[in-house]
Amino acid sequence: MDDPIATPLPDSLASRRGLRDRFGDTSLRSISGLAAVGVIALITLIIYEVLDQARPSIRIFGISFIWHQTWNAVTNQYGALDFLVATLYVTGLAVLLAAPVAIAIGLYLSELAPGGVRGVVGSLVEMLAAIPSVVLGLWGILVLGPVVHNEFGPWLNDVLGWTPFFATRPISGSTMFTAVLVLTIMIVPITAAISRDLFLQVPPDIKEGAIGLGLTRWEMVRGVMLPYTRGGLISAVLLGAGRALGEAIAVTQVIGTTAHLTANLFETGDTLASRIAAQYQAAASNLQVASLFYLGVILLAISLIVNFAALLIVRRYDIAQRV
Amino acid sequence: MEASGVASISLKSTGRSRRRQRTNHVAQGASIFAAFLAIGVLALVVISVLLRGLKALNLDLFTKNQVTYGETGGGIANGLVGTAIMVAIATAIALPIGILAAVYVAEFGGNRVARVVKLALDVLNGVPSIVVGIFAYALLVVGSGYAAWKASVALAIVMLPLVARSTIEVLRLVPDALRYGSYALGISKWRTVLFVVMPSAIGSVMTGATLAVARAAGETAPLLFTTSIFLPNQIETDPHHAMAAVPLLILFDSESPDASLNNQAWAAAFVLMIFVLVLSLTARYILARRERKLRAR
Amino acid sequence: MSFSITRRTSSLLVSAALLAGCVAASATASQSKHTGGQLVGAGSTFVQPLVSQWQAAYPSVNGTNIVYQPIGSGGGIQAITNRTVDFGASDAPLTSDQATNCKGCIEIPWALGGTSVMVNLQTNAHAPLHITGPVLARIYLGQITSWDDPAIKALNPGISLPSEKITPVYRSDGSGTSYNITDYLSSVSPAFKSKIGLSTQPPFPVGVGGKGSSGVAGVVKNTAGAIGYADIAYAVTNHIQVMAVRNAAGKYTTPGIKSITAASAAFKNVGTTGEVHIVNPPKSAPTAYPISTYTYVILPQTTQNASALRTFVFWALTKGQPLGVKLRYVPIPKPVLVLAEKLLKTVHS
Repeated sequence: MDDPIATPLPDSLASRRGLRDRFGDTSLRSISGLAAVGVIALITLIIYEVLDQARPSIRIFGISFIWHQTWNAVTNQYGALDFLVATLYVTGLAVLLAAPVAIAIGLYLSELAPGGVRGVVGSLVEMLAAIPSVVLGLWGILVLGPVVHNEFGPWLNDVLGWTPFFATRPISGSTMFTAVLVLTIMIVPITAAISRDLFLQVPPDIKEGAIGLGLTRWEMVRGVMLPYTRGGLISAVLLGAGRALGEAIAVTQVIGTTAHLTANLFETGDTLASRIAAQYQAAASNLQVASLFYLGVILLAISLIVNFAALLIVRRYDIAQRV
Repeated sequence: MEASGVASISLKSTGRSRRRQRTNHVAQGASIFAAFLAIGVLALVVISVLLRGLKALNLDLFTKNQVTYGETGGGIANGLVGTAIMVAIATAIALPIGILAAVYVAEFGGNRVARVVKLALDVLNGVPSIVVGIFAYALLVVGSGYAAWKASVALAIVMLPLVARSTIEVLRLVPDALRYGSYALGISKWRTVLFVVMPSAIGSVMTGATLAVARAAGETAPLLFTTSIFLPNQIETDPHHAMAAVPLLILFDSESPDASLNNQAWAAAFVLMIFVLVLSLTARYILARRERKLRAR
Repeated sequence: MSFSITRRTSSLLVSAALLAGCVAASATASQSKHTGGQLVGAGSTFVQPLVSQWQAAYPSVNGTNIVYQPIGSGGGIQAITNRTVDFGASDAPLTSDQATNCKGCIEIPWALGGTSVMVNLQTNAHAPLHITGPVLARIYLGQITSWDDPAIKALNPGISLPSEKITPVYRSDGSGTSYNITDYLSSVSPAFKSKIGLSTQPPFPVGVGGKGSSGVAGVVKNTAGAIGYADIAYAVTNHIQVMAVRNAAGKYTTPGIKSITAASAAFKNVGTTGEVHIVNPPKSAPTAYPISTYTYVILPQTTQNASALRTFVFWALTKGQPLGVKLRYVPIPKPVLVLAEKLLKTVHS
């Protein structure tokens, strides 16, 4: 039998097939290249459009928009400070609350939980990460709000009223505290799922080595697992923070949409994203629309910085990118 | 525990070892406690939403539209149809573009180009959905009005990076041996990509896409400025008109003083959550299995 | 064999995906404006209960569907300015800036209603609690913070007011109802006028924001000690207590058909532009409710839907008015109706 590879193809056939392949290669390459370029064009367009729409406000208020406090549709004066501070404050607290708990869940699921529990609780956490934020907002406004107003609020004020954080009793269920809790519930499952994956990636040899050296389980976790996954954990937390920063809907439902510059968590507040959601459709003047876009520019910048920081770290640790 | 065995080979455990043991127990206990507390709270949230939703659930929810102001009853049929259509169109936009972009990154792009596209995808993924919403409004809605397809475009922007990034991951997992084997047989690159690489990856790609669909179905912010003006009491199927959507209905009803509308919001949340949870759980389950298989190969 | 089938299926899948992309792209390319049997509007939540009645009744009259979304008066003005809708609705008249931006829009008064002051408070009172404009202004300025404040007690002799915190609730979106109540409060309280002024988005120093009239009513209904403002229809349909507000004649009135009618009747001169203010009517109207308002439909003067819009708005101004009575909207009086019809005729294609 002839070896098919050794037998040269008839010239005409070979060239026809070569032509077709060249054509196929080029078309697939260019079509997929077009899609890739499209992605770059899209993100460029988004950034350009948001900046462009914000231009009237940027021209009038300049960079000082960021540290001006007034947001007054009567005098047409706008500044971002209240929203910027509230965004960082509320998100920061949510992250502070969520991170240790999420990492504990990750540890429990990867190290401590018995096999059967692992699967069930693991899927529960995955499920929670997929809950739409509007559903969390619904729960926040109708269930959590009244509890904060009538139970948590008075109690925390009695016990911790001497701190600036709970200086007064809440006047309704819509407070920054409610928003912090809703955001915490939103980011715990996201961060926990990534932490678990990170811990599972720690090579067993190292863990066994540590145990073999006589370390207790906790010493192994602290001395081996946490240092090994540190970067990944930081970026997991940052990714959660990125999600919380940009969350508009759930926050606007529970925060009371009134800006204040205060540490008191039982006051109402308003974040960048929630202010855009509440007022964008109903802005009173062109300058207000532009100023809302300016808030969008600031929000975009913060989100991108946080996400970039997370990515830079993530690159080094190559964890599954879920968020 | 092995550790204690080593530490106390022949002696009674000394003060130091006991302290270490105690720390170990306390820390483990704390970790388990924190985990249980958090999981308990999260489970409580889910159960309270599901229970309230279940109580408010009835057949009208699926067969009737919203009612005129002041009347009671009604359902979210138009919202269900609207969400289904808008998410379907969004998928039809995001899926091909996302997969193609991923193919370019994984199969064609040199290192440099691939890095830039991946970066663009990461940046896109970091754009808050409310910003996507105002972007779509400024670009598409101003001057011509609200329409379902504009909401779909906004949703597609949210889905695109999810689809593309998961596809890139999957394509990276396809062993190079498969590609080289194909080239060695004299098969051209495009045939290799379409008929060798893609078939072995398509299942996982679709699962990744399913996760993106689950995410899009629950997104509210991109809809707020693109399709929130809709005909309340009629099912709309023309994507050139604005449509009702389940997440928007939940948002509006959640703030209503009318307890029957609050109940409707719970029921709608129940439906949305079951949909999203089933979709994402199945997808994750299949994905995990396939990835294990691909890795094993 | 099976391999080739997978191949074919997958290539089919890919081409289907491509095709879908193309279809979607062409769908986006061939965007058309909503046409045929549909008029799209957005804005005031104050008038929404009434428009909702019209939405139910109008299709059987004429076969045209009315799409209306209550996004707030500010949103209504914004939407018609951007021409994202066929008509906007606002309880606040266009400011001169807004009128310029809107490029040839006219505002036509098409409904008349009262802004109720809603409360959530357990007392031994059997009649609505009393309040005055200046006291209400001090509540929204954050100067009165408890229900047992002497200023409120003085207005409600014999009623035991609890020492509960007051939660002022206001609109977080741009709202004509906010405009209406700040219009009233500015006219009775110089302090309020200088500190806050008249606005669709008044910068209140205290309180909780709610989205839309429905959102405000929702917060009031679910928050003990809350006070808020919204069209009376929201209080009626959701069984929320309202307060009786003292008018210029010194009488306490609640918003109802008679008291709102009396308020509108107190203003004889309706002008020519369509903008009619009827807050704080003079002493000569002892039964008038002091926080009443006309609410406007805003139309582009030149529009391809001119005839459909004219037909609908004319119907709303005439046959549509009685539909609002059970929700406490007052049919607009003759002089205003004449003005409205004159303005409506200027809408052309």
